[in-house]
Amino acid sequence: MPDAQTVHVAGLADSAQVQAGNALMMANPYRPWPARITSITRLTATEKLFEFRLVDERIREAFHHEPGQFVEVSIFGVGEAPISISGSPTKSGFIELCVRRAGEFTQRLHEMQCGDIVGIRGPYGRPFPYEDMKGHDILLVAGGLGIAPLRSLINNIHDERSEFGNVTIIYGSRNPSEVMFRDQFEMWRHRKDFNLILTVDEPDDTWDGEVGLVTAPFAGLEVDAGNTYGAVCGPPVMYRFVVEEMRKKGISYDHIYMSFERHMKCGMGKCGHCQIGHQYCCIDGPVFNYWEAKNIQGSM
Amino acid sequence: MLYRVMDASELPRLIDAFMEKYEVVAPVKSGRSFAFEPVSSFDEIVLDYPTTLTSLKKYILPPRETLFEFNVEDADVTDYTLRIRPRVLFGAHACDINALNNLDLVFEDARYPDPYYEAHRAATMVVGINCSPAGSCFCHLLDADEVRSGYDLFLQDLGGRYLVSIGSVEAANILEAACDLREATDEDRREFRRLTRERQEAFSNDIPDIQEIPMLMDAFHKDAFWAELGERCLSCTACSAVCPTCYCFDIADVLDPDGKTGRRERILDACTSPQFALVTGGHNFRETARDRVRHRMYHKLNGFNSKHGRYLCVGCGRCVRACKADISPIEVLRFFERKGAEDA
Repeated sequence: MPDAQTVHVAGLADSAQVQAGNALMMANPYRPWPARITSITRLTATEKLFEFRLVDERIREAFHHEPGQFVEVSIFGVGEAPISISGSPTKSGFIELCVRRAGEFTQRLHEMQCGDIVGIRGPYGRPFPYEDMKGHDILLVAGGLGIAPLRSLINNIHDERSEFGNVTIIYGSRNPSEVMFRDQFEMWRHRKDFNLILTVDEPDDTWDGEVGLVTAPFAGLEVDAGNTYGAVCGPPVMYRFVVEEMRKKGISYDHIYMSFERHMKCGMGKCGHCQIGHQYCCIDGPVFNYWEAKNIQGSM
Repeated sequence: MLYRVMDASELPRLIDAFMEKYEVVAPVKSGRSFAFEPVSSFDEIVLDYPTTLTSLKKYILPPRETLFEFNVEDADVTDYTLRIRPRVLFGAHACDINALNNLDLVFEDARYPDPYYEAHRAATMVVGINCSPAGSCFCHLLDADEVRSGYDLFLQDLGGRYLVSIGSVEAANILEAACDLREATDEDRREFRRLTRERQEAFSNDIPDIQEIPMLMDAFHKDAFWAELGERCLSCTACSAVCPTCYCFDIADVLDPDGKTGRRERILDACTSPQFALVTGGHNFRETARDRVRHRMYHKLNGFNSKHGRYLCVGCGRCVRACKADISPIEVLRFFERKGAEDA
């Protein structure tokens, strides 16, 4: 019987050779690249914002993301998890991820310190149509952890604020202690160029924002429907109600964008875990417009 | 495509020639059924087998495969070399070759070509052979009863001789060196057409021929039929295990006993397994067996079509025999036929 051939699966050992970052990343797309934790900010009792910096300069320079994309994060020996990018592309060189402690992987990540190293591959997924959104009014609705992917879009808009019309952000949380990025949003509440509406289901004595579901503020909202893009992210049950409110305001199906949550295990349209109907959330999404979502069985 | 005719008595010489450079995997008798196994002589091979219990998928997409090894302390991958035995998959039926072609669409897509799959596929020759339909075969309804690409050789038995369709130069070289070939004659061509017609007429008429299946999958997405299938489904994932086109996988880390090093593996998974669509935090996007059975059928009979223009089911009938609850695409076709009769 003939001997087995050995096939070197590229992109694992050859990182010492000089190659362009993109070529390195594509040589073996399953290979995570070391990234060092450069900052950790506690947001709530269960959420932290991690900032990472890719160690290899070639990979760092080749890494470009757009709002709405995600990365696969590795803790070797524990596994890999898809996490949406919370930072704006304008903050190049760093990858910000907002992580809720919810399972073994995220528990381990929460135990890590600045200087610790994880693996990162990506970015993956179809982003929000950021360039198309320029020149338009923006209506963003986030529920709970849905703020994580939307913050990338929010911060990108912030950094290029003059490119956009009116910007309204409705962000709903269960209670005041679960409001993330509170420092940032507290400052923004006094700004004239952002209409920021924070709402909670269960207020406490300190809460001076709105009370109720994220759909409640729509009642008093004036929307220039023909000139507005909507962006939505939140728990699964939220989408249907929010997009219907946006439809009632007259926003076109294809101007309402949603970022869906699924378990993207490979990120490359193969493993099947993130399938929604005939679409792969990882490569066809995670951002879909309402028209596309209506045409996907089981999307909402 | 290049065609030549070879005498049937030369087939053992072709197998011997393959064995000089390749491991030959071929259909053999396995208990009361048949299986693709490595063989050491031509005599072990059963040329007129009906269908094997499991498919050829495991030779291209192993059920468990190491992606790389890693060092926990360095938090980085370490070198890893994949060992692949050059193989000839001999005696594949058209449905199974079409199934590999479907896998190519997923794993050799231009955007994210999969280096592991590509390495296996590149080191593997595929030699097809014609077949006659078994009772649970319905490849003809899903346009998978003939295959036009994805093989190195395809043998059509013309009685004492084979019409050989030659798909690669690698196979042509081995074939020409091992066997005396001649050009096909009019008589060969006539016999080929007669046998093809004969095969088409041999399919079971019990399996309804339904048009517009993808459209019907959408139209009846909310029908109570799926709940009924869901109640029967045991979530055992046997259907996916035997399916030649089910490719879904999980990715998991396995630590070595010292806890310092380990490997990342990809393990074949199934969308019919209860936790398949579970996300961190506890939400399961396909909570019930109804959702999961329907999703699997939907992907086979509609979803893959809208991406790639062909069914992800090749009608091999393996799941028909593997399912203890009598759930299969044939059941779905029968459901559509009943619905059609109700409407009429």
